[in-house]
Amino acid sequence: MDDQLPALRLVGLRKHFGRPAVDGLDLLVRRGEFYALLGPNGAGKTTTLRLVTGLLAPDAGTIEVLGVDMTAAPAAAKAKLAYLPDEPMLYGKLKPFEYLEFVAGLWGVAAQDAEPRARELLDWLDLTQHANELTEGFSRGMKQKLALAGALIHDPELLILDEPLTGLDAAAARQVKDLLLAHVAKGGTVILTTHILEVAERLAHRIGIIRQGRLIAEGTLVQLRERTQGGSLEDMFLHLMAAP
Amino acid sequence: MRLAPGSVGWLLRHELRLAWFNAAGGKAADGRRRPGNMALGLAAAGCIVMHVASWFVVRQLAGMPGDDPRILLAVSALLIVAATFMLSSAIKACVVVMFERSDLDLLLSSPLPSRSIFTVRLLGVCAGTAALYLFFLAPFAHAGLLQGQFRWLGIYPGVIALAVLCSCGAMLLTLGLVRMLGARRTRVVAQIVGALAGALLVIASQLHALTSRQTQERIRDTVLGLVQREGAADNPLWLPAWAMLGEPLPVLLLGALTCAMFMLTTWRTHRFFARGLQLAASSPSTAAGKPLAMPLRPRFGRSLFGTVVVKEWRLIVRDPQLLSQVMLQILFLLPLFFLIFKRADVQVQAIGAGLALLCSSLTGALAWIALSAEDAPDLLLASPASQRTVRRAKLAAAMLPVLGVVAIPLLWLAVRMPAAGLVACLVVCGAVSGAGLVVFWCGRPGVRTNFKGRGKGGFVMNVLELGNSLAWGALGWLLSAATLGQLDTMRIVVAAGAASFAIAVPGIAWMLRSRSM
Repeated sequence: MDDQLPALRLVGLRKHFGRPAVDGLDLLVRRGEFYALLGPNGAGKTTTLRLVTGLLAPDAGTIEVLGVDMTAAPAAAKAKLAYLPDEPMLYGKLKPFEYLEFVAGLWGVAAQDAEPRARELLDWLDLTQHANELTEGFSRGMKQKLALAGALIHDPELLILDEPLTGLDAAAARQVKDLLLAHVAKGGTVILTTHILEVAERLAHRIGIIRQGRLIAEGTLVQLRERTQGGSLEDMFLHLMAAP
Repeated sequence: MRLAPGSVGWLLRHELRLAWFNAAGGKAADGRRRPGNMALGLAAAGCIVMHVASWFVVRQLAGMPGDDPRILLAVSALLIVAATFMLSSAIKACVVVMFERSDLDLLLSSPLPSRSIFTVRLLGVCAGTAALYLFFLAPFAHAGLLQGQFRWLGIYPGVIALAVLCSCGAMLLTLGLVRMLGARRTRVVAQIVGALAGALLVIASQLHALTSRQTQERIRDTVLGLVQREGAADNPLWLPAWAMLGEPLPVLLLGALTCAMFMLTTWRTHRFFARGLQLAASSPSTAAGKPLAMPLRPRFGRSLFGTVVVKEWRLIVRDPQLLSQVMLQILFLLPLFFLIFKRADVQVQAIGAGLALLCSSLTGALAWIALSAEDAPDLLLASPASQRTVRRAKLAAAMLPVLGVVAIPLLWLAVRMPAAGLVACLVVCGAVSGAGLVVFWCGRPGVRTNFKGRGKGGFVMNVLELGNSLAWGALGWLLSAATLGQLDTMRIVVAAGAASFAIAVPGIAWMLRSRSM
């Protein structure tokens, strides 16, 4: 694998639902980067992520995941990524271990890799003591953590998360953030959307701000600060949103 | 009329409005909820047809003697059948009222007295239980009124009293189960009891096939002897039947009994109802921390096909609500199995047709659960797994249990009567494959909890499933008859037609797949 290949490259991405949801979006995320995509409600963040993960087909533009074209070779592209939506994709009648067994099966992970990884993830996320319960009885935080374990079971090169910290208590949020940072430290790439600007400010290497389906600002926190002469990320975000 | 907010009348109006929109639900272009035109149109057409039909029936029965014991017996039998089904639907309604209504938190946190909430909820169950029966039976009362045969008006108090008595019984049973078993288990047990109550009569209707002719004659003679005995008509057991036949005193007595039962239920149990609601609202649907049965141990490294099949079976086996409804269909197979294993004079036509119909229906239900009611479709779509393999595995997960259930009886039949066994195997395989393929190609996405209402979401799928069942059922009957040498030109023509239709159904489903999926 060429290390110079970007983790994600979007060129002229468009998607219309009556009105443009994503409108000629160009985006490049490097390997090993923690990238935060910010924007107001309805800006097109979730649509962008769903396009990237192959859940939606673009009207125009290209999506490359680690050099693989999502439209031309969706299975190969999907094999390299994992997606965690804001509502965890779980089965209420499965137990955590069974859920991980199923997800590992979907990604074709070999048994000798999947089983210890599942145990490690459940242990890391403090879910081992709940391993014999159905997930329908789990709290929001436990569900989110299990979904994250599912996303990590095949050790994806690119991890895409939509509002992963919504509804989590402080302890669960810390565990998720630690796991994401560990993933990046190992060379993985993380792209997340969040409304919690403090999370983007503290975790992300680079931040992209999207409005009406277009990228209106991008850079490190320092670069964005220089551009907007703002103080905190919140000030900068509000400044950019207010601009015509 | 303005009703005081928070009063029983006000709450009842709210309840009826919700029930009305749910029963005839539709949405205007601007998103406002309003009764669906199609539903209203169909209901109106059905009402007119029923009134026309009942007009002729009432006129035909004008000279009928009201005190004939056989009429009393027929009406009583009708009432027993209706009461069983009413009890079944009322238990299910009580489960919905206690466990599945999303407005419980709102009501419990309001200052409304628990008695008002309980009274209105119980009235709602009563109204829902009576509605269907009144729809079909009230036209007879109207026709009787117009033709001057006023005793037909007894239908109204009869049906309403029966519905109220069954609803009160169902509510007391549900509350009793909550006290004995706790909220979580009650939900499961009540659903199963409700389903069994409904199934009992269908099973009982098969008894004639399971009993000898002498036994049937003995039972008939005994019952008729009891009814025709001197003074037998005055037995209080006939009270509901007399009320239905419009006798004033029985109507009054039944009305008083119904009112007393309703008041006793609401006065004595409203506090426990509120407590039951709180228990239900705070109870998870499974016991946290409690190890559950593990039908298939987790094993990493299965093939994609195997992984999906195992996942679907786990989800079905662990959903008591779904399982009780699916098991109910298996229950209907039992009389057929009895015939196969026990009776010397095996009725192969009935077996062939019955197995085809029931296996088709069972496969359709399981295929809908596996294919259409996927809980995490985005997870499957976002994975690199072949969607074709995933869907085929889901289809197999639906078909294999059905074939497994009928395998041994079919083998036994094949040993006893090879030709009939072979025919039964053929029609079962055809019916199962056809039903599975219809859902595979025409099933629309749905949610598991909407299993009972799955038909509303896919008209095409429903029609094709029905066509598949009927075609294979007819083929099963005719081919089984052929193995006994009952073959003539007409039967050959009908069998050829049924076979063509059975083959055409999956073909039509395949052609419609892009439009309906």
